Amino acid sequence: MKDRDPFYYILQPDFVLMNRRVYKQTLVARPSYTLEIQRKEWMHMTNNHVQTEPLKDKLEDNLNKIRNELGGSDDIIIREIGFGKDRIAHAAVIYTDGLADTKLITDFILDSQTQGNHAEEIDHATDEDNLLDALKSLALNLGDHKEITDFAGLYSNLLSGNTVLLLDGFARGIAAGTQGWKGRSVSEPVAQSVVRGPQEGFTETLRTNTSMVRRKIKDPNLWLETMQIGKVTKTDVAIMYIKGIVNDKIVEEVRARLGRIDIDGILESGYIEELIQDEAYSPFPTVSNTERPDSVAAELLEGRVAILVDGTPFVLIVPTLFISFFQTAEDYYQRADISTLLRIIRFISLFIAMVGPALYIAITTFHQELLPTQLLISLAAQREGVPFPAFIEALMMEVTFEVLREAGIRMPRPIGQAVSIVGTLVIGQAAVEAGIVSASMVIVVSITAISSFVITGYSMAISIRMIRFVIMGLAAAFGIFGIVVAMIALVLHLCSLRSFGIPFMSPFAPFIPADHKDTIFRFPHWAQSTRPRLINQKNTTRELMSRPTKPEK
Amino acid sequence: MANNVKISLRQFTVLIMFYTIGTTILVIPAPLAADAGQHAWIAAIVGWLLGLLVVVLYVSLGKLFPQMTFIAYIEHTFGKWLGKPISLFFIFFSFVTSSIVLYYIGNFMTTQIMPETPIGAFVILFAGIVLMGLRLGLEVLARTAEILFPWFLLLFTTLTLFLIPEIEIQKIRPIIEIGFKPVIRAALVFAGTASLPMVVFLMIYPMSLNEKKGAGKAFYTGTLIGGIFIIIITFLSVSILGAELSAKNMYPSYALSKKINVGNFIQRVEILMAGLWFLTIFFKATFYAYGFISGIAQVFGCKDYRPFVIPCGMIMIAFSLVVYPDVVYMSDFESTVYIPFVISAGLLLPLFVLITGLIRKRMMNNQGVESDDE
Repeated sequence: MKDRDPFYYILQPDFVLMNRRVYKQTLVARPSYTLEIQRKEWMHMTNNHVQTEPLKDKLEDNLNKIRNELGGSDDIIIREIGFGKDRIAHAAVIYTDGLADTKLITDFILDSQTQGNHAEEIDHATDEDNLLDALKSLALNLGDHKEITDFAGLYSNLLSGNTVLLLDGFARGIAAGTQGWKGRSVSEPVAQSVVRGPQEGFTETLRTNTSMVRRKIKDPNLWLETMQIGKVTKTDVAIMYIKGIVNDKIVEEVRARLGRIDIDGILESGYIEELIQDEAYSPFPTVSNTERPDSVAAELLEGRVAILVDGTPFVLIVPTLFISFFQTAEDYYQRADISTLLRIIRFISLFIAMVGPALYIAITTFHQELLPTQLLISLAAQREGVPFPAFIEALMMEVTFEVLREAGIRMPRPIGQAVSIVGTLVIGQAAVEAGIVSASMVIVVSITAISSFVITGYSMAISIRMIRFVIMGLAAAFGIFGIVVAMIALVLHLCSLRSFGIPFMSPFAPFIPADHKDTIFRFPHWAQSTRPRLINQKNTTRELMSRPTKPEK
Repeated sequence: MANNVKISLRQFTVLIMFYTIGTTILVIPAPLAADAGQHAWIAAIVGWLLGLLVVVLYVSLGKLFPQMTFIAYIEHTFGKWLGKPISLFFIFFSFVTSSIVLYYIGNFMTTQIMPETPIGAFVILFAGIVLMGLRLGLEVLARTAEILFPWFLLLFTTLTLFLIPEIEIQKIRPIIEIGFKPVIRAALVFAGTASLPMVVFLMIYPMSLNEKKGAGKAFYTGTLIGGIFIIIITFLSVSILGAELSAKNMYPSYALSKKINVGNFIQRVEILMAGLWFLTIFFKATFYAYGFISGIAQVFGCKDYRPFVIPCGMIMIAFSLVVYPDVVYMSDFESTVYIPFVISAGLLLPLFVLITGLIRKRMMNNQGVESDDE
């Protein structure tokens, strides 16, 4: 849809330029030199499989090799040009069509070449270094540039949208930052929309995403480290954190875990999530994701680390606690008491979504005495014509509902509507009238389904959908005893989880009273004086504010 | 031995509390009422105070050997050859009691709630989570206790509040007419079920606590709070069901929760209240089993007890199915054998270790002084 936006093409170049400016700031703002070295080591670590063959002296050899190794792909544009007055300096401009901003390239490289702005410099350049410097100053017009000496660097630059300048007679080249492809523009987040709060969501472009976070936090301590992961895809993965607030050990750990990844491709942050999570076999997500820049900023301020992956608007946040899946950005934008109430409602929904059908099964099968007599009679009357035991009935309905939900998500939108109509008719009425299920079962399934949508973390909601079936089975065999056993097992499992070393169930277990300012209860902002304690152990003071006071008379 | 596992004092307190309450809360009013009649709740208070004395013993043992488990200091004081058989006695105690607790849960379910389901099904399912908890380790168990504690509190408060209207004070009268002997006997029963089994906590106390200071206090607090819950239940039981009915019921507090009736709407919610017993019995069973399994691992000098969990658990399950052939045998065992059994494991053994330890320490000190003199 956004592709057809008439303003899109107009806005695009500006956008690219803006991003580049932001990027430069990032480079300047990085205060630590050792970090740069670390980053390089790490880049080396992730790219150690690429053979680093140096560039050759002769331009013709270089170009032939490039043509051969890229299989003569049509989108790789190689333009051979001559520099200087008499076109004595033989050079080549190589870029990938569609990834590089063609307009920039034509404007700056080709124009300056024809107008001869740098012609004299190149003419007067006598030795190798001078000539290359001249070329660099030419590339400077494009902004960011790097020197490359081998084919690995050449390819990675070329294929990420940069323009490569090669000069005849030199075993070195220059990569100029000309990235500018057509991406989706910033739009409203789809899965995490709010009534009050920023309406912008991340896009598929890494640089746009990092700039959106920087716009929220204008502090030199907001650090960004980028690396490439994926032997084939070479996806840019960035980690962002606020130095001084974040726990350095966690950053170390994130770096180490990302560095360990050895895979052919990263196509979405879900790949990274599965590869870096603490517990491989658990239905619960221990890494959360968000597509909202304001959420990322808030998490960074609490001392967490954000992992941004190029090509997806979903940013990973580590470490994640169980409670994170029941909080939304909007909780912090509206009044504290209302947010608290909503959070309690979310927890109630969690229980309904998890044990709703199981309780129905247990009560109707084993513990009928729990129900008031009239209700029991009416339930019995409803179930009179139903030939199945409650468990089979519930299982049928739940499976049908899951099928419908899946169909509703995957179908093209116009057909999706048809599916929902069929679903409502078939499940809502016909099934009851036909005597396959009882009417009360329909109520149970609906309330369960709606409750599962209330849980804000989508990845948590799916795991709960899954666990529900196990609990239903136990309830069918053991009644409430089975449910209690399932809950104990669940709590045991949840307590055994850790997210980057932080106990998943904190601040409930281990119980940290100070952190209950922002778990189930959301205290007013003036009362939230400290950051979560386990996540950042130093710099815990969030604010020094007292309760707002009335004006004195 | 998993020396690096540490739990906080708060977690330890909650664990002690759950452990004191587990199984006790379900059965205790019956033997108390049988011995002390309408004074069962007074007997409970006496037993509660008696329990504190037991904790004094455990805490002083902990002070003597702050860096060792029970098994380790038995071997330390008695030497390898004498120490191992004594340790085996402690392990045998934990083993038998853990199987008894598993039997309890199965028996409770089959007699009270689902008479048609075989007892093995309940025992295996319940042992499943007990073993899962043991495999995950002490830290996870402690955190689980922390999470489940508010739920326990919620259920218990609801139960108590809903039962208050049913109290009939004349059932506990006369109060003053009190015999010394039956109360002491009942108090012993109380200490035997609630306090003395805490000997298994010597396996983690105070070695696995993150702070040594205040550890004793945590032990006392846990026992005291746990005792209060039991006193409340005993009081409710005799004042609502009456002494006779409490004594005759196998699970008086379950019968008690059947009495709940709020506005003819909330009634017969006993199964929800049974959630209380399941939660607390889980911790009771787990820590008995912990004493058994980690004891075995330590006697054989293994660093980690986890590989023993599944095989020992299977033995436990099998034994729990045969530990009592029937309920008559159970009540007979409970009233005749169990009290001396638990006293020898929970009182005499630690006392013996403490005295020997103290003597040895004094001898060592004297020797040290003598050698210094020379």
